[in-house]
Amino acid sequence: MTLLQGFGDQIIAGAITTLQVALTSLVLGIAVGLCGAMAKVNGIGALRWLADGYTTIVRGIPELLIILILYFGGTVALTALLGRYVEVDAFAAGVFALTIVFGAYATEVFRAALLAVPRSQIEAAHALALSRALTFRLVILPQMWRYALPGLGNLWLTLLKDTALISVVGLEDLMRKASVAAGATHDPLTFYLIAAALYLTFTSVSLVGLALLEQRAGRGVRISE
Amino acid sequence: MLKIKPATGQFKTELSDTKAALHVVNLRKRFGQLEVIKGLSLTANQGDVISILGSSGSGKSTLLRCLNFLEPPNEGEIWIGGRQIQARAGATGQREINALRINLGMVFQTFNLWLHKTVLENIVEAPIHVLGLSKAEAHLRAEELLLKVGLADKRHAYPSQLSGGQQQRIAIARALAMEPEILLFDEPTSALDPELVGDVLKVIRALADEGRTMLIVTHELNFARQVSNRIVFLHEGQIEEEGPPDAFFNHPSSPRVRQFLSSQRDGYHR
Ligand SMILES: Nc1ncnc2c1ncn2[C@@H]1O[C@H](COP(=O)(O)OP(=O)(O)OP(=O)(O)O)[C@@H](O)[C@H]1O
Ligand SMILES: [Mg+2]
Repeated sequence: MTLLQGFGDQIIAGAITTLQVALTSLVLGIAVGLCGAMAKVNGIGALRWLADGYTTIVRGIPELLIILILYFGGTVALTALLGRYVEVDAFAAGVFALTIVFGAYATEVFRAALLAVPRSQIEAAHALALSRALTFRLVILPQMWRYALPGLGNLWLTLLKDTALISVVGLEDLMRKASVAAGATHDPLTFYLIAAALYLTFTSVSLVGLALLEQRAGRGVRISE
Repeated sequence: MLKIKPATGQFKTELSDTKAALHVVNLRKRFGQLEVIKGLSLTANQGDVISILGSSGSGKSTLLRCLNFLEPPNEGEIWIGGRQIQARAGATGQREINALRINLGMVFQTFNLWLHKTVLENIVEAPIHVLGLSKAEAHLRAEELLLKVGLADKRHAYPSQLSGGQQQRIAIARALAMEPEILLFDEPTSALDPELVGDVLKVIRALADEGRTMLIVTHELNFARQVSNRIVFLHEGQIEEEGPPDAFFNHPSSPRVRQFLSSQRDGYHR
């Protein structure tokens, strides 16, 4: 195998890891963001206070530091908890850290989206005796997507690229594989360009997907020509 | 302060002293310091069509919104005949409020159709999720109602693709799909272009002819006169005058009503 001096498979494996970390963090981060937004908008005192603290702290610290703190903090905590040295799995640590980061920003996006759903749409649901849970599922959630999607799209692009930061704690992602190959072959430019091209491919495909999602979420809003 | 009574799973079913479709006793609503509904009592018998008139800010919308707890009242009792569900302000749980809402169909000035759902979806959601109808039953009911409001061909349209008048007729169909005992209309034609008002009034008139019990807040005096058997005039959160349309329009006893009527008539001449 001479393709990329034998590093082709490695690069592909790294790219797959990158996508796995990013997609897992996305799903979990959206869940965190929705909970955070609801705590901020509807929550009682303590919950709201907690959510405010969470977003303030996370958004005020560089992502790289958060990753490092959570990774080493996680190791210390688990070691203390289990009474023996535990090394945190890089994949789990990466997903955890990126979820925390994505969730904080997503909280703000969802909060704004929640508040953007017109009161009259919700009142119509209440007047028809729909419960709070049903009103949320049938009316608020589908309508807030429309307001949240552009912001979430940007966060997703950032998330995809932030996975590269996880390589500092040893995740075998695209970034790390590229830098290993760059070191081993003494041809850094080629491998960093390849990595860049792959990130660009992922983000471009995401942009197309996002445009389609936005179109779908805009159903019924624009008057069809 | 609104106390929420723990859900007991049982509604109070005390017998009301009247067989009225709707019986409101001493209803009060404050927004902060401002008292907007001041101890109002009102009874609607089965088949009554009551038009509620009054100048801007007199509390007409607030009255309707208190009846189905979109605004929780501060005091008062609301009885719905037949099932005799009692909603006592200050001690009303969510289950009772929802039972009340099932019986009170509300039509808003601004239609409030769900923008992300088609006409058909707007109509079937509540019957399926609240009344537990099957999809097939709900769709059947929706199709019948669409025929009734003359918009069967719009079943797959989104609200944004409809005129205001069409949206309001769909909103009426959506309320009817819950088969409520009583319909509440809050200025159903005020947001419409004049040429679209007629279609909506026609639908409401047909509902009156069916013998439905309705409370209609409106500024359409001619319509109120033709369609209702009783007029209620609100002033500062209280009933200033009420009576059959002929007496109300021809010989109002309150000077405020006389003033209101003459100012409205002036408005029409302009
Ligand atoms: N949510 C609210 N918060 C504070 N004040 C309110 C609120 N809703 C209504 N009000 C006040 O209550 C009074 C009655 O309002 P309401 O909307 O019931 O009047 P209305 O008779 O329906 O008037 P219109 O003919 O203009 O619709 C007004 O003074 C209004 O400013
Ligand atoms: Mg009003």
